[in-house]
Amino acid sequence: MQKYFVGVDIGSLTVKVVLLNDDLEILGTAMTRAGFSGRDVATRLKDQLLADSILTSHDVSATVATGYGRVSFPSDREVSEITCQAKGISHLFPSARTVIDIGGQDSKVIKLMPSGKVADFAMNDKCAAGTGRFLEVMASALEVEWQEIGRLASGSENPAQISSFCTVFAESEIISHVSSGAKKSDILAGVCDSVASRVASMTRRTGLEPDIVFTGGVAHNQGVVNALAKQLGYPLLVSREPVITAALGAAILARDIHK
Amino acid sequence: MAKRNYRPLGSVKALQKTMGRYYAITNYHRYWGKLLRRPLAWVTSGAPVELLRAFNIHSAYPEQYAAIYSARKSTVALCEIAEAAGYSQDLCSYARSNIGGVLRPDLAPLGGMPKPDLLVACNNICGTVLKWYEALARHFNIPLLVLDTPFLTAELTTQAKDYVLEQLYAMVADLEKITERQFNEKNLAKQMRLSAEITSLWKETRQYCKASPSPLNAPDLFIHMAPIVVLRGSQGGIDYYRKLKAEVQQRVEKAQGAVENERIRLVWDNIAIWPQLFTFYKMFAEKGACFVTDTYSGGWAVEQAPGTPMESLAATYTEVFLNRSPEFRANQLIDLIHEYKADGFVMHSNRSCKPYSLVQEVIRRKVMLETGVPGLMIEADMADPRSYAEEPVRNRVQAFLETFD
Repeated sequence: MQKYFVGVDIGSLTVKVVLLNDDLEILGTAMTRAGFSGRDVATRLKDQLLADSILTSHDVSATVATGYGRVSFPSDREVSEITCQAKGISHLFPSARTVIDIGGQDSKVIKLMPSGKVADFAMNDKCAAGTGRFLEVMASALEVEWQEIGRLASGSENPAQISSFCTVFAESEIISHVSSGAKKSDILAGVCDSVASRVASMTRRTGLEPDIVFTGGVAHNQGVVNALAKQLGYPLLVSREPVITAALGAAILARDIHK
Repeated sequence: MAKRNYRPLGSVKALQKTMGRYYAITNYHRYWGKLLRRPLAWVTSGAPVELLRAFNIHSAYPEQYAAIYSARKSTVALCEIAEAAGYSQDLCSYARSNIGGVLRPDLAPLGGMPKPDLLVACNNICGTVLKWYEALARHFNIPLLVLDTPFLTAELTTQAKDYVLEQLYAMVADLEKITERQFNEKNLAKQMRLSAEITSLWKETRQYCKASPSPLNAPDLFIHMAPIVVLRGSQGGIDYYRKLKAEVQQRVEKAQGAVENERIRLVWDNIAIWPQLFTFYKMFAEKGACFVTDTYSGGWAVEQAPGTPMESLAATYTEVFLNRSPEFRANQLIDLIHEYKADGFVMHSNRSCKPYSLVQEVIRRKVMLETGVPGLMIEADMADPRSYAEEPVRNRVQAFLETFD
């Protein structure tokens, strides 16, 4: 009989759920905004995923929860995103030695051992610079949808200089760039550079070792991908679905626990 | 109160009695100080207190009071007073809360500190103390004695030692004037002997933690270090550490661990996170992780340097670990990891304490490379709870402990 495993990642901005079978095949993934109750959203997504595969909660052998809302969600075990992210990425990219994960309010760098276990990690602290939230605030100041940031920034020839790390001060820097007539694409490229430089210095801190995988919601943003690759001097591997890699790792850990 | 995952020490009662007596004597100094011709000095934690004791000076420690303010949740209110008076939020939280307590003693636990007659600052622990104590000297309009200990990039040189020694002789001349007492080298030698005795007791107590399971955890070390800081060289302090040592020895004989089911042995680096003393270390204790030793309270377990009493003072106080190179500190941590058979280490990047924290990342990498054990960095503050972000801290701690699974 086939066994099924669920990984739930309740992040600061979004909730991600992955349904996996014993052969490590992804049967379904779902994600949406966390909203007020990440727990309720995660339960809804999980039920929906199971229903899509004509399964019920009884068919699930184990569930692992991760992300900031992990404690609130009923699961067999709650595991930190760092361990889950390492698990998910080393499954998708066995050659990965460095993982850069930029999510809603966290940016983190994880150094992996050849076995895929966590050797070291670094995270941003008490500050939203170099995170998805930072990009969102800047996009909103420029009246641009965050999904468009990458495309617009790629067209920049003369990136603006955003020197402040502080989200609030950077926003006022952007407003002054706007009033001095700078192009939107140049300002956005400056924003991407700012995120990249913040994360690049954190990456150098843990020691840069290829292959480098870039994951988390911000990995969708080609502007940051390009800026970061340039600053680190290495190409970056990006999964097709960078948002769900921690939830995938959680599902794989659920399978490990069950064994 | 929630169940603590570690064994409480019986010596806590004796500690409360010893410290209670010290606070009572200190806070009532105004009633006996003049009468007994014993001035009250506010001193930094790295000041050569044996010399002051030789002059019958009673010492009180703003840093130690600041830790009490923090444990009693008064730091924010006191810091806000200092910040409103113009002191930057980037300044050390001990300095800010001390200054806040000077300006508004009614907001400070224990009614704040008793008014000092003189100030003694030694920059072997940091440079902040110089300006902090200058501000205090202006406020109280009292003498400030400064001991400048040059930073040691390698070993102590003869020039550096002579430079400090010369200042100590100048300090003796100043203290003779202030106290109207003659300097008596025999008296200093006696103070040094008492100080050496208490230091040995503290050192031996700590060394019992090489046992597995460890009889003490970091919060025990942090709580029970109070007498070695403020009562160094006193008979009361010596009596207290004899009791503590006996209890800890008994624990080892009975194989009683401070943490239930000790599974992970860790070394701590930097000052305690006072406002989170129990909640923070509980995250570790719950997972069977015990801090078996630390660099901070271990700073008071260092034996005196050889030489005449004055030479010994000069060398001992210049060679304190915070006044030494990153290489020295990395090696110190590596030795502790080996001696205490530790599985990892945790560094507190302490926003307040720049000399302790700025070089930690370099040290962390070197220690990880040379010992092969993992090291975690936590960003917080020794006293100001506004610099502590609970969820991110919990996240890091959990991820770190998961690497031992």
